[in-house]
Amino acid sequence: MGVSDVEEASLSLDEKLLRFMDQLELLEEKRAKLNSLIEQGWFSISKARYSMGNKQVSALQYASEIEPLVFVNSRRLENCGVEFCTERPNQERNTSSSIEDIGPKESGVRRRNKPKNDAAEKEASKDASSEKTPELNPVNESHQNPQQDPLKWFGILVPQSLKQAQSSFKQVIELSAEIATLQDAISNSRQELSLSLKNKQTAAERVGSPLGQGDKLNGSGESKQKDSGGEVPIKESL
Amino acid sequence: MAGRGKLIAVIGDEDTCTGFLLGGVGELNKNRKPNFLVVEKDTSITEIEETFKSFLARNDIGIILINQFIAEMIRHAIDAHMQSIPAVLEIPSKEHPYDASKDSILRRAKGMFSAEDFR
Repeated sequence: MGVSDVEEASLSLDEKLLRFMDQLELLEEKRAKLNSLIEQGWFSISKARYSMGNKQVSALQYASEIEPLVFVNSRRLENCGVEFCTERPNQERNTSSSIEDIGPKESGVRRRNKPKNDAAEKEASKDASSEKTPELNPVNESHQNPQQDPLKWFGILVPQSLKQAQSSFKQVIELSAEIATLQDAISNSRQELSLSLKNKQTAAERVGSPLGQGDKLNGSGESKQKDSGGEVPIKESL
Repeated sequence: MAGRGKLIAVIGDEDTCTGFLLGGVGELNKNRKPNFLVVEKDTSITEIEETFKSFLARNDIGIILINQFIAEMIRHAIDAHMQSIPAVLEIPSKEHPYDASKDSILRRAKGMFSAEDFR
């Protein structure tokens, strides 16, 4: 009975350890990708600075009004973990109007020289304009407000390399949300692991002296505690 | 703005901040408090630490990105942070490549492995 308990605890410990190792491996993989993307981004920024001038692309050029274009949503998972995912609220709009509209927003021909005598027509045009305004306003707002693309802080005709930098940093942001999720999963697995390690130890202690192996385990455990006195409080704090 | 997600904060050198701001993480809120800190040569450690703590205290921040060499300066504050939100991510910087052995999360993970535990 007792032995099977220990075996069970060992099996679950093994399973958790394997999962933990897998997570660490995945983290390392993602970290490597993140690092290379960031490097690429810096390289592109430097290239842009080279072509624009030494003092360009600096913190002094940040806009006075900065609106976030990307958000992270955090969600609690069943196993107490937290999942982060990025969200770009107005990405769809940006992609749909990727070609910038330059020129008057109103469609059609504008009459600049209105005939003064035609009062009726004037009235009609007034009505039309009053009807039109509520329609136009939201369009205008959505065009002015769209939190300005940060690229524009650094000029209107920015070099291609700055755009490349932007795209690599966008990828970095997405990846960093994944890494944050993974880091949280790792710290959870670590806690689970230390808990099951404790469970195994108590199970082994319960088996106790009748088993030679248990004896050995207990004995070595005690000596370990004496040897590495500093180790125990760290584990406790985990 | 109740339904919107959380922000990503950045503490880093100029190029790191510029890059992430280009990516669209930056925000200046109503009190004109930014969610980023550009660390220059003359930025004091106290200032960095205070900013980091203020980011931890803000509930609209989900992830804090920090250059690893800056994280090294305020390691005690980072080690003391145990909550999962905001998540703290250490990233490399131009002069200092990423070193996994310095990362708080990985150090914690490494700390629990001693050979005797798994006999």
